[in-house]
Amino acid sequence: MWTPLRSIFSLNDPGWGRGGGGADQRPPQRPGNDGPPDLDELWRDFNRRLNSLFRRGGGGPRGPSGGGGEPPSMKGAGAGLGLLVLVAVLLWLASGFYIVQEGQASVVLRFGEYKQLVDRAGFTWRLPYPIETNEIVNVQQLRTVEVGYRNAVRNKTLRESLMLTLDQSIVDMQFTVQYRVGDVKAYLFNNDLGPVPEEIVRQAAETAMRETVGRNGVDQVLYEEKEQVAQAARKQIQSILDRYQAGISIVDLTIQQVQPPEQVQAAFEDANKAAQDRERLINEGRAYANDVIPKARGSAARLLQEAEGYRQRVIASAEGDTSRLNQVATEYAKAPQVTRDRMYLETMERIFANTSKVYLDSRASGNLLYLPLDKLLGQAGADASSRAGGSATSSSGAHETPTPAPPAPRSDGLRSRDRDSR
Amino acid sequence: MQKIVPAVIGLLIAIFVLMSCVFVVDQRQFAVVYALGEIRKVIDAPGLYFKLPPPFQNVVYYDKRILTIDTSESDRFITSEKLNVMIDTFVKWRIIDPPSFIRSVSGSEQIAVDRINRSLRDALNNEIARRTVSDMISSARDQVVENVRAKVNDDSKQIGVEVIDVRLKRVDFAPEVSERVFARMESERKQVANERRATGAAESEKIRAEADRQREVIVAEAYREAQQMRGEGDARVAQLFAAAWGRNPQFAAFYRSLEAYRQAFGSKSDVLVLDPSSEFFRYFKAPDGSPK
Repeated sequence: MWTPLRSIFSLNDPGWGRGGGGADQRPPQRPGNDGPPDLDELWRDFNRRLNSLFRRGGGGPRGPSGGGGEPPSMKGAGAGLGLLVLVAVLLWLASGFYIVQEGQASVVLRFGEYKQLVDRAGFTWRLPYPIETNEIVNVQQLRTVEVGYRNAVRNKTLRESLMLTLDQSIVDMQFTVQYRVGDVKAYLFNNDLGPVPEEIVRQAAETAMRETVGRNGVDQVLYEEKEQVAQAARKQIQSILDRYQAGISIVDLTIQQVQPPEQVQAAFEDANKAAQDRERLINEGRAYANDVIPKARGSAARLLQEAEGYRQRVIASAEGDTSRLNQVATEYAKAPQVTRDRMYLETMERIFANTSKVYLDSRASGNLLYLPLDKLLGQAGADASSRAGGSATSSSGAHETPTPAPPAPRSDGLRSRDRDSR
Repeated sequence: MQKIVPAVIGLLIAIFVLMSCVFVVDQRQFAVVYALGEIRKVIDAPGLYFKLPPPFQNVVYYDKRILTIDTSESDRFITSEKLNVMIDTFVKWRIIDPPSFIRSVSGSEQIAVDRINRSLRDALNNEIARRTVSDMISSARDQVVENVRAKVNDDSKQIGVEVIDVRLKRVDFAPEVSERVFARMESERKQVANERRATGAAESEKIRAEADRQREVIVAEAYREAQQMRGEGDARVAQLFAAAWGRNPQFAAFYRSLEAYRQAFGSKSDVLVLDPSSEFFRYFKAPDGSPK
């Protein structure tokens, strides 16, 4: 009894248990290949096996006609046949049950004509084959088409990814389109999707992206208007698909990567570096300005402060000087002669104490006197610098003086050079 | 038992005949019913239909959906400026008139595809030969495509086919042209790079010059103010001295001269040649102070 049972339930049948769900994704491709869904195939298979089992069992183990052990009679066989037909009809009706998974929708066709759309998940019944059939489409699933690459962005397909821009340059672009089935009926019935249903989206995506890129310059595509390009391409894909009434809605288009082709990448990178260089140069210029201008402000402030300092200093010292003069003048007015003599002598004393002197009696000397001024000056200079000895005075009584030396030494040769008058 | 077998066989035959009289037309299909080789009717609407059993009547199905021709390789075309471009197209078409389709291409999609392809190539050739590459890429792309579609559609009407859309999937330069394009792109980038560096340098120089100018101006303005201040100081000094000297000019000159002598002759390096006749030496030779 076990062997036939196993053969009924056909545990090894790979199609068992998949039910009608397998009819998803692959709608019938060509009219010639219009096979019924798996479930019906299975059902017929089941019926056949059941029949063969009953025939072998000779009436069925629980035939209601005779009871156990009674040999099959014609009448019993007729009743058995009736029961068999009943069971077969019931089973046939039961074959109309199928399950719609969450996120799926099912289309019911009656004799090939669209009847209704079942978009709520759960257990559903339709008239059994061959009156009605159903096709299940996953409507929630977000499907993805990769253009210009497969699986990983590095894995490029150059034939798809290289495209021409408005200025006839070539860019290398990888992008992804995400879509889902928007209108199940349109999706199933309007387009022959072929063996790879995503191909229709890929074609639309490629052509749309190339059109969009062809309307933009290389800089826009690569740098400036990437986002706009993606948006425009998305719209274009949608409009192409709508034109075919494909029942597909584009959810998103993402540009994964867009760059110049490998052959010219170095040049592009150099241009980018040049942009950086430009920034760098400008920043250096700014840095220079930021260095120079504050310094200039600093030195300007110094100039002003110095001038202010000068002003205050000279005024203060002038005030001091004049005040001193005024006071002395007041005293001088009381005793002019005495004060003048005293001041003169004090001053001359101070002067002679500090300077080198040559004393000459000009009137007593009739002859020419040789006076080595340069030597005297050199010696005096050396003495002054070394501070050796007291006054190197050559106060030798020279007897002859050809010309009277002026008491006030106004001769320009003796003028000290580095003495500031102030 | 003996009666059942023929009954069953009869039933099976009846079912078989009945089955062959019934057919289903799918939502996605046309059905064409032939009667002895002649087209009897074309069924457009889906549903269950009846016909005579074969060989009196046969039914053949055709696809009603939009079909695609997508050649895998690009074709080479020459534009008006004699450049080779590789163009990859796809065509969306469908059967609209099964009887003409059957008559002209014997109902074979493959033959129809070949016809459409020939017509497409021809139309593209004509169209592209009048256009430049930039037309093809952008400005006239839609125009080109629409012209070609209209042309191919016209050609295909007679085979019962409507061409819904023609798209240029890829428009690329031929490989030998691509090399030149790359060279051109490279030179363009070089130009951009040089320009960027040069503008950067110019900008930088401008900023520096501006800074230098500002520095000069700031310093000069400060100098102006500083000199003004010094002038104020000097003026005040002159004023003070004028006031002071004005009270007793003679004494002031004397006093100031003494101060100046002191300042002028204060170091060892100053050598004075003295004459005994000066007032200072009045008592030097004569203690009584009498002048000689």
